[in-house]
Amino acid sequence: MSITERLLFWLGIVVLVIALVGVKADLSKLEQQVQQVSQTASEGGEE
Amino acid sequence: MNAKVERAIYIGIIAVLAILLISFGKKEVELKKQIPLTAEELYKKLGNPKITLQIIDVRPYQPSEEEEDEAEEVDYYTLLHIPGSIPLPECDESKAPEDALQQINPYLPTVIVSKDGNPEIFKKCAKKFSIVQNLKGGIEAWDDAGYPEDEGEYEPPAAGGGGGCL
Repeated sequence: MSITERLLFWLGIVVLVIALVGVKADLSKLEQQVQQVSQTASEGGEE
Repeated sequence: MNAKVERAIYIGIIAVLAILLISFGKKEVELKKQIPLTAEELYKKLGNPKITLQIIDVRPYQPSEEEEDEAEEVDYYTLLHIPGSIPLPECDESKAPEDALQQINPYLPTVIVSKDGNPEIFKKCAKKFSIVQNLKGGIEAWDDAGYPEDEGEYEPPAAGGGGGCL
């Protein structure tokens, strides 16, 4: 396997890992928002 | 290490990462469905030409002759609607105007507008679209916030017309 090929594979892996970290951060924010929304909804239902 | 084995390992790692990314993406879409969009957020999105969005209005289309005198503006599409929104009463294709049906794209990011943002109506309608959010407070919230409004029958966008509906 040539160095160029190896480099391309590593580049692909790094790009995917960065994308995964970004999406995971978005997911965490969304999960917090969903929790807030469901809390607000349940508080509204109790009133 | 044998070149073939090394290549297979790299491809395996990339495949696993890609599958993870796709599953996270799907989860993100599912979570977004559960978070309603406020009138302010919708207004900002509509003002951004980079964001393509379709607004589906699920309220009844127009009042009957008997209902006309007592009808409230927020009850019917023809009396008050968000500019550019597409009528799809009760999410039922048979009740939508012919012109409107042709404009509906189930694969576009979609915002569902009901009278008061009822989550039950949203749930029923959300199944028909791949990326969908509810407008919190519905048309009443939009009306209260004083954002642009339109009235009258649905008019499909002119061919070749630019995007953006405000």
